[in-house]
Amino acid sequence: MQANQLILHPNHEDHHIARLAAYAILLHVMEAMIPSPLPGVKPGIANIVVLYVLYRDGWKACAWVSLLRVLAGSLVLGSFLTPTFMLSLSGAVSSLLCLGLAQFLPKKYFGPLSLSMLAALAHMAGQLVLVRCWLIPSAGIVYLLPLLMSFALLFGLVNGVITARLLQLASRPKRA
Amino acid sequence: MKTSGAWIRPLSGDYLIFIIALALLGWLFSHYWNWQAATRLQIHQGGQLIATLTLDQQRELSVSGPLGITRIEIDHGRARVHSSPCTNQYCVHQGWLSHAGQASFCLPNRVSIRLMGASSSYDSLNY
Amino acid sequence: MTKSCWQWLGACLISIALSACGTRPTPAIESYVFGTMVSISLPDQSQTRAQQLANAVNQEFFKLHQQLHAWQSDSELSRLNQAIAAGQSMQVSPLLAHMLRQTQQLSAQSEDIFNPAIGQLIALWGFHRDEFTPVKVEPEQIHRLVKTHPSMAQLHIQDLQVSSSNREVQLDFGGYAKGYALDIAANFLRTQGVRNALINIGGNIIALGQHDQRSWQVGIQHPRQSGTIATIDLPDGWAIGTSGDYQRYFNLDGQRYCHIIDPRTGYPVQTTQSVTVLIPPAESAGVMSDVASKPIFIARDESARLLAAKKMGVDYFLIVDAHGDVLMSRAMQKILHWTQPPSHIKVVDTEAL
Repeated sequence: MQANQLILHPNHEDHHIARLAAYAILLHVMEAMIPSPLPGVKPGIANIVVLYVLYRDGWKACAWVSLLRVLAGSLVLGSFLTPTFMLSLSGAVSSLLCLGLAQFLPKKYFGPLSLSMLAALAHMAGQLVLVRCWLIPSAGIVYLLPLLMSFALLFGLVNGVITARLLQLASRPKRA
Repeated sequence: MKTSGAWIRPLSGDYLIFIIALALLGWLFSHYWNWQAATRLQIHQGGQLIATLTLDQQRELSVSGPLGITRIEIDHGRARVHSSPCTNQYCVHQGWLSHAGQASFCLPNRVSIRLMGASSSYDSLNY
Repeated sequence: MTKSCWQWLGACLISIALSACGTRPTPAIESYVFGTMVSISLPDQSQTRAQQLANAVNQEFFKLHQQLHAWQSDSELSRLNQAIAAGQSMQVSPLLAHMLRQTQQLSAQSEDIFNPAIGQLIALWGFHRDEFTPVKVEPEQIHRLVKTHPSMAQLHIQDLQVSSSNREVQLDFGGYAKGYALDIAANFLRTQGVRNALINIGGNIIALGQHDQRSWQVGIQHPRQSGTIATIDLPDGWAIGTSGDYQRYFNLDGQRYCHIIDPRTGYPVQTTQSVTVLIPPAESAGVMSDVASKPIFIARDESARLLAAKKMGVDYFLIVDAHGDVLMSRAMQKILHWTQPPSHIKVVDTEAL
């Protein structure tokens, strides 16, 4: 994957990632303030930034943004190393792994919508695995699976549409 | 990447993924949300079953977890987490549960309640 | 605004899912008496007749419960306990006298390991409450109570006049009453001409007849997982009972303290997860299904467990020890179907004992 065709001075990429991560953190924290009807159901709007970075700057940059978002977001919210943080982390890691594979899907057929849906489902699946294996093993969380996965798909779709739109706007020829 | 058009157009693969995901959801719903009326309540703490109780009663129970006491209320066919020492209070907000398979979790206090229906593989449970 | 919107969306999705409900199963008649669940299946009876029978049985249970409640001061058993503590004798009902004789005999059979006289110890551990919260006990208090050796043998039953030579005896029929109630219910239903029924009182089950041209099927609760460890066919007249450390317990400092207390030490048993016994048809099959598992549960190792089973006359047993390993009799192995088999299973021939 090719980085932006911009004239970079040595630190620029770091700045770039930091700036994007800051957007992601902002969205992450904002989202944490929205009450949720069900535990685990969140729109995951920060993932818009993550997916955007994947398209613009490649998987490595996207991984940085995503993990920085989880880490800094938890520090801001005061949830570092709590179960909330671990859930966030496991979701982020599994969606990153999923994106790492999904980026090799042929671009001709699979757009940001596909990747966003896959990432959202993987995100939810990663969290549920953690809940099942660590937080409350043998409890019936599987019974919430259909509902949680439905929300994941819905939000994945919405975020995918937004990301696609952002990418479309960003790739339009602009004034130099 | 498509640049034409004012609005994004899904690609064929996007449809494919969406349909596969819907099929997966359909399977999940049919498999896990095959509702029956609930007859029993199971309470887990830290992953272990600590009580199986009939729903046909009026009763309050206390379960202790790492954060403190979670109070569970049973009221003739339904059950809920009445109060919890956790900060997010999701489990409390989930309200009354009344169908087999429904569950409410308090992750911070590691307590869960789950409603059970009549099981088909045996006539009665020895416990 | 956002909040109500989200909740509305959530409620919407849930109600859509609910509208796709399955059919209601034809359930057993369940009720809450005896501080536990009572479930009666009456497959041949009309719904109204089944409900009448169940109500009649429950009424019997309710009376029994009033009579035997160990921690409500107005029950007959509580008044006897108060009389014993005061060093007085008391005239009891014929029913209670019968139960005292039966538990006395069973206690002797188990060499005082099944010991309903240790009510004070059970109270000390807090299992006289509807809570699952930890209690901190004083070791000296336990030691003092154990040293008083409360035993059923210290009860003197002269017709209906009961007294005790040891004032520390406090009766608790927690390990007996459910089994006794099973026998009462089975006998009552038989006198009412009921051929086929399955009665479950707080997990202890007795079968009458059969169901759909086959034996009644009973699931045995897994002591650590949700769901069953095995299922079993329960033929006509047979009873099954399980003592488990998961039934009532609390956790304190990483240790599990269950409701079954070793009368020799005064401490909850920590060497066993569960003991299931199967009792062939007998007059007191219900009582035996409740009582016989206790001495096996309290026994600390394999030879003690086998000896306890022999003393109680139990041929069908399934023991899950603290490691989750299973020790079972050959007879039990032949009739049991695993659903969540344990990793270690040892089968012993009880005839060889």
